[in-house]
Amino acid sequence: MNHTMTLTIQRVEGALIRALGLIERRGFAVTSIDASADEAAQQMELTIEVCSPGRSVDVLARQIEKLFDVRSVAHVRTSEPAVQLEESMAC
Amino acid sequence: MKGAQLLVKALEQEGVGVVFGYPGGAIMPVYDALLDSPIRHVLARHEQGAVLAADGFARVTGRPGVCMATSGPGATNLVTGIANAFMDSVPLVAITGQVPTPVMGTDAFQEVDIFGITMPIVKHSFLIRRAEDIPRIIGEAFHIATEGRPGPVLVDLPKDVANTMTSIPPIFEMKSSDPGRPDPEQLALACRLLGEAERPVLYAGGGVGMARAVDAFREFAEASCIPVVTTLKGIGAVPTRHKDYLGMLGMHGNLAANKAVQASDLLICVGARFDDRATGRLDGFAPGAKVIHMDADPSEISKLRFADAGLLGDLRVSLSSLPTDLSIEPWRAWCAERKAEHAWRYDAPGEGVFVPDMLRRITEADPEVTIACDVGQHQMWVAQHCHFQRPEQHLTSAGLGTMGFGIPAGIGALMAKPDGRVLTVTGDGSIMMNLQELQTIRRYDLPLKMLLVDNASLGMVRQWQELFHEERYSEVDLSDNPDFVEVARSFGIKAFRVTRRDRVDAAIERLLAAEGAILAHVCIDPKTNVWPLVPPGETNDVMLEGMSA
Repeated sequence: MNHTMTLTIQRVEGALIRALGLIERRGFAVTSIDASADEAAQQMELTIEVCSPGRSVDVLARQIEKLFDVRSVAHVRTSEPAVQLEESMAC
Repeated sequence: MKGAQLLVKALEQEGVGVVFGYPGGAIMPVYDALLDSPIRHVLARHEQGAVLAADGFARVTGRPGVCMATSGPGATNLVTGIANAFMDSVPLVAITGQVPTPVMGTDAFQEVDIFGITMPIVKHSFLIRRAEDIPRIIGEAFHIATEGRPGPVLVDLPKDVANTMTSIPPIFEMKSSDPGRPDPEQLALACRLLGEAERPVLYAGGGVGMARAVDAFREFAEASCIPVVTTLKGIGAVPTRHKDYLGMLGMHGNLAANKAVQASDLLICVGARFDDRATGRLDGFAPGAKVIHMDADPSEISKLRFADAGLLGDLRVSLSSLPTDLSIEPWRAWCAERKAEHAWRYDAPGEGVFVPDMLRRITEADPEVTIACDVGQHQMWVAQHCHFQRPEQHLTSAGLGTMGFGIPAGIGALMAKPDGRVLTVTGDGSIMMNLQELQTIRRYDLPLKMLLVDNASLGMVRQWQELFHEERYSEVDLSDNPDFVEVARSFGIKAFRVTRRDRVDAAIERLLAAEGAILAHVCIDPKTNVWPLVPPGETNDVMLEGMSA
């Protein structure tokens, strides 16, 4: 289950690593990334392909959207059907 | 004006009256500026004590707690407290000194990348590069810490920026935040689900208190008569003696609460997040229930459990928009029967102190006391047996489970409400994690009451090793503890010991009547366990029961 997302982020210190760190921390693997800068708007546009561990990519998008450096998040496409959420979190 | 002075002025502008901290090299300019400020600085004896005190302050007041530390080890010592605030959605502004910008990235003395280290555990963070940005950044930090779902914000201030002279820029104007209103379609769906429900349960989390939605929650609960369960952080959403309150749910929850949730056909989740300690095995949690989920945080809706109706935004608006004329009398009666059937028992055999009973009686003797809890078995006994009127009376490290939280949080609570009555309940494992803060209590003459429950072991770990590791006890024996009465006295704090049940009444009276700080050292059987217990990985249908004194 691969998902492609586009993010527009502010070009401020830490914004890029904050967004990418969140994606990995929530259990998604970044499989490809393409970035372009908009100097005038002080923004950066990222096209990111992520591999889902079976978790909801919509929830991930909302988690990214909460970051204060992120201007917008769009879920562009899913290349394989998403699977049901699977849980085994006992510890 | 120097950057450091600008920072302190910006804090004053935000209405900050108290900061908790510890000075050091990189943050010295700020400490110099504090000398000329009306802000009161509370010197902790370890940075973790400072940040956890700021956390306790924030939980009591609802306003951001502020702490500060120097670069390097000062900053890393804040990390546990920042994570604690992040996990429990506590508004906090942590200010760290940083080495001067020209040497940042060179492994300079006391340099760490605290901005990078804390990235996963902050709501947001700032590294200040220009002195003129200070007012704007402090304004944003306070706004972010409190708006929507609260959380910690880190502000890292390099020493050269703190020392830079700058003309005073205008103070940043605070944005006002509107928590928003639920989507009308989702609200209509929620109303329909509620109208169709025969066995609804209100599942309240810490969000009820954080969103200042206690009155709205109680009005809805009263009018609808829906049985209420709470998470650890949600305790006090209704008074714990409320007729429809079934208790805390989850791993150490009340059987009646868990049975009601498991049998429910509609779960109305208000400011909770389906944490694994509350739900047990998630795929077996409330298996026949539809879910209405109210939250200020859009990323919590359907994160772990699908929400049939997601009500985002102001909990007060959502709660007041739901119908209350329900026909659920048979369900209420069934829940009341479960509540009576599983009422806590206090007739434990033996002559030793039965801590659940002692805790219950303390809150009966002083219903207004605020309890700052440490982490472990005693924490669960407080949650199960103490009576609370409001959520902010119960300060507990719920999400992170930070041993060492209790004493600093008690200090923060007393700094927030100097005339309030505050009791720290701690254990012999937990107290040693921030023992140095006894000196902070002494330094500021804080009348903190402390109940130290000493089972000469790491009780909760010991219990799990007994139950789930075939009694193979590994590093849980703390029988070489110091004499805690002598330890407290050496800090200038009154202390006494309780070992017998027939001395409990006198001990409670002495503890509550004492002027100034006092510690009651309560010695109990090391084999005492917390019951009931849902084993890890099981559903909340599986609750082990037992009783020990």
